[in-house]
Amino acid sequence: MDTGIQMIELLVDGISRGLVFALLGVGITVVFGLGGVLNLALGVFSVIAIILGVELLGLTGTLFAAIPIAVLAVALLGLAVDRSLLSLVYRSEGDERILLGIFTTLGLATFLDGLLFITYPSSYSLSSGISSLSVAGIQIRGSSIAVIGVAVAVFAVLYYFFSRTYLGGAMRTVLQDETGAILCGISPRRMRTYVFLLSTSIAGIAGILYSFTFEVSVATGFELTIYAIIVSIVGGVTSVLGAAIAGLLLGIVVTFTSAFVGAYISEIVLFGVAIAVLIVRPEQIK
Amino acid sequence: MSAQHTLSGLSWDRLRIPVVVAVLAVLPVFFFNPSYTYISRLFILALVFATLALALNIVFGHTDQLFLFVGALTGLGAYGTALTADALGVSPWLTMLIGATLAGVLGGLVCYVAARRRFTVILIAILTLALQLAIIETFVGARDITAGSTGFRFSGLGLEPLQNALGVYDHVVLYYVVLALLTGVMVLYHYIQHSKYGMAFDAIRQDEIAAEAIGVNVVRYKTLAGFTSAFIIGLVGPLYAQLDSLVLPAMFEFSVIDVLVLIILIVGGIRTMLGPIVGAAVIVYINEELQAFGQWRTVVFGFLLIVLFLYFRSGIVPFLDDVLNERLGLKSTIKSIVTD
Repeated sequence: MDTGIQMIELLVDGISRGLVFALLGVGITVVFGLGGVLNLALGVFSVIAIILGVELLGLTGTLFAAIPIAVLAVALLGLAVDRSLLSLVYRSEGDERILLGIFTTLGLATFLDGLLFITYPSSYSLSSGISSLSVAGIQIRGSSIAVIGVAVAVFAVLYYFFSRTYLGGAMRTVLQDETGAILCGISPRRMRTYVFLLSTSIAGIAGILYSFTFEVSVATGFELTIYAIIVSIVGGVTSVLGAAIAGLLLGIVVTFTSAFVGAYISEIVLFGVAIAVLIVRPEQIK
Repeated sequence: MSAQHTLSGLSWDRLRIPVVVAVLAVLPVFFFNPSYTYISRLFILALVFATLALALNIVFGHTDQLFLFVGALTGLGAYGTALTADALGVSPWLTMLIGATLAGVLGGLVCYVAARRRFTVILIAILTLALQLAIIETFVGARDITAGSTGFRFSGLGLEPLQNALGVYDHVVLYYVVLALLTGVMVLYHYIQHSKYGMAFDAIRQDEIAAEAIGVNVVRYKTLAGFTSAFIIGLVGPLYAQLDSLVLPAMFEFSVIDVLVLIILIVGGIRTMLGPIVGAAVIVYINEELQAFGQWRTVVFGFLLIVLFLYFRSGIVPFLDDVLNERLGLKSTIKSIVTD
């Protein structure tokens, strides 16, 4: 086996994993940046999307129907959580809200994990249905093509949304200056609802993409949340672009370390990077 | 001072520890039975979790530093004790201090860095959560040293001679050992609350900048709180392992230890001495009642976590304290006795 080719194949794997990490990181970043809530239940939304995707695929027979419906359903669940739980959390301010956010979303994650595990105790994955591609002797997995394609499209939409649409602009205003936003007639609470919908939808998409490559069980949900938080920290917590770049880089680093050193070392590297960033640059995180 | 002293008057404040310890000490007489170790295991587990929650109470309750790696610290204590005892060929009773110091130093270091770098509560939470996962991952991955996810047997903390002399079974001895530790932690907690440390902690928690301005060394006190809590948690580790005669990574996971300890602390009442004990009793009991429902247990705990934090953050002990004081008029009675 030619090492050059192997490197490129690993790089493609790394990019594909990195883009999923990036999406997850954005899911944490937007909600924390706009609402001050660290959503420890994010990964559970991903798992729910995967399980719904598998079930809907069985019903409809096509991924083109299954995935959008699954993501929509997860977004609606997000709406329900925002209206009920998060409304109570947003009542408090400052440190108190942050603590409440941590504990209620941790409770929600535990609650939903328990519910899911009762009906879905095994592992699940989806097949992208795209066959592998061979370019100049380099094997590219079908799942990688699907992941990269969809993730890039999602990021393009996100970029357009945040830079060109009124709603996206309004959301960024709240992020920068809440009082100013209120004076402009923008309701921060409403923006927080939208952003939570956005976050859970992204988590749903990220989960489905993740399941193209990896088997996912209910327990994976917490793992995904942790990846998301690490990416978000490394990317600067309130920057969508930062999260995207951090996700991509971490995905590549993890793929290479797990290929050459070992899977458990790669996880520790991931935590190590997060811990280092926290210690070196805490001021970037409010 | 704060709520837990309202019932006080001096008498209750001084009697509290002896009364509680006496009650806990007679429980085995009624409930322990060598042919039914299941029950005695639950009692020991409740004491173990009460001690963990009381330790977390110092660092989280009193200095607002949220530790989300109680499980990892417990594990460090257990692995540190067991592995060094093995390597040095000495009794784990001696190496317990090494395990606890290991945990304590990590806890102190985290708080030192966090205080120096002015971490907010969310940063400490994320930092310790990352450490929790990294440490568990190391227990699983460093197979040559830790025997990986299957773990190893550990039973060096029995006191066979004493056990045989008294003619009791192993759980009785372990129960009193854990109770002794819990008593020690209660005394320490009481001391902290009534010393300059307690005042410094209160000052820091209420307004860090103001505390610093009047000359409280914030970094030092926060580090001290972190070390103390982590050291105690590290001491509990090997005793927790002794209960099931096992050391394996899954015992120390976030979902197994931290979630439970947090619920216990909040149910019982944060910033109270008796809260963790009441909370541990209630939660271990609920956990047991739900055993038959399998996975529904997780659902219930998740629900509890949400509801408790949203609506019942004061906890059982402060709640009862208030009820006794306000509705029964105990406060004025005690006050009149004290002032007379």
